[in-house]
Amino acid sequence: MEKGNEKYNKVLNLLRKSTPLLNSTGDIENEVLIRIKKINQSGVNLSEVIDFLFGWVYIGWVRRSLIAAAMALVVIFVYQQGVILKRIEVLSRQTIIINNGNAASSSDEIDKFLTQFRNSGHRFPSMNITISESQMKELQESFKEMQIKYKDLENIIEGDPDLKKLIEKKLIENNRTKINL
Amino acid sequence: MIDLQLIEECKCGNFNNFRKLVELSSPFAYSVAFRMLGDEDQAKDVVQETMVTIWEKLKKIKTAEVYKTWIYRVVVNKCYDEMRRRKRNPEFVTDEQSWKLISNRISEGPSAALENNETSRIIRILTEKLSPRQKAVFVLSELEGMSNDEISGITGISKSAVKANLYHARKTISQRVEKYL
Repeated sequence: MEKGNEKYNKVLNLLRKSTPLLNSTGDIENEVLIRIKKINQSGVNLSEVIDFLFGWVYIGWVRRSLIAAAMALVVIFVYQQGVILKRIEVLSRQTIIINNGNAASSSDEIDKFLTQFRNSGHRFPSMNITISESQMKELQESFKEMQIKYKDLENIIEGDPDLKKLIEKKLIENNRTKINL
Repeated sequence: MIDLQLIEECKCGNFNNFRKLVELSSPFAYSVAFRMLGDEDQAKDVVQETMVTIWEKLKKIKTAEVYKTWIYRVVVNKCYDEMRRRKRNPEFVTDEQSWKLISNRISEGPSAALENNETSRIIRILTEKLSPRQKAVFVLSELEGMSNDEISGITGISKSAVKANLYHARKTISQRVEKYL
């Protein structure tokens, strides 16, 4: 290693002694002046305009402040997203309480009721029934399914007069209220 | 000698004074560029571009000391750009002849000073494994004889980073010298 250092120092001394010689200073001067004159002739110096508009970004403390502000914004954004996601999760698990005695009779009413339930923050003042959001959805789907089945049944009965008469007769026999088909 | 008066006169748009400034600044700008790039033509291009940039930003210079630091900084940055371009189109390959040249020159003793083309070959072969930053620190510290504070001001990296880069550069070059010479 010492031998290496010795050689390193020798090479270094050689390079230090051999200062690069610039023979054509005049050529460089002429070339530089030609380029400068071209820039001046082109009228508005683009780099000056850019410097005027954005030169402030090269100021050290401004750069550092901008970086800090950008990082703070990113942190705030991530934090907010986290809070929102957490809140959504809590809301979806939250139980709801309903004291509305009137049963909804159509899907529109069910939808209205759900909207009202969501807008009220899943809360109703006095409590009789306690159901969750998922149960509410299940109920809505069951209701729609039942409506479809009821319509199918109605169509079958309407399409078969004998069946209709038979059902009416049976209902009268059982002293039940007549169904208005 | 570059003084503030000359810079102030150049700020007024006097081309003759700027020619004088180019004449005074070119040698040391060329020295750094040549030692970093190891190529005469590329170093001249860098000097030209540097002087055009200096002309454009001359109004911001307040003292002669700042001017010198600034010109070094512009040169180093232009060299980085050139090295990046070169990295995309690599053309230099280590050859045994270059190592022989170094060996011969060292054995010739302290009187020998190299010509530009020999210097460029030696610099390129010695620094080909260094990163651009290590190369800049090596050239400014070991060949241009600048202090760590000055290098830190020019390259924009911390003093500890300057020391670390210099340590790695010396180690890499020593190992190569020990291996090939």
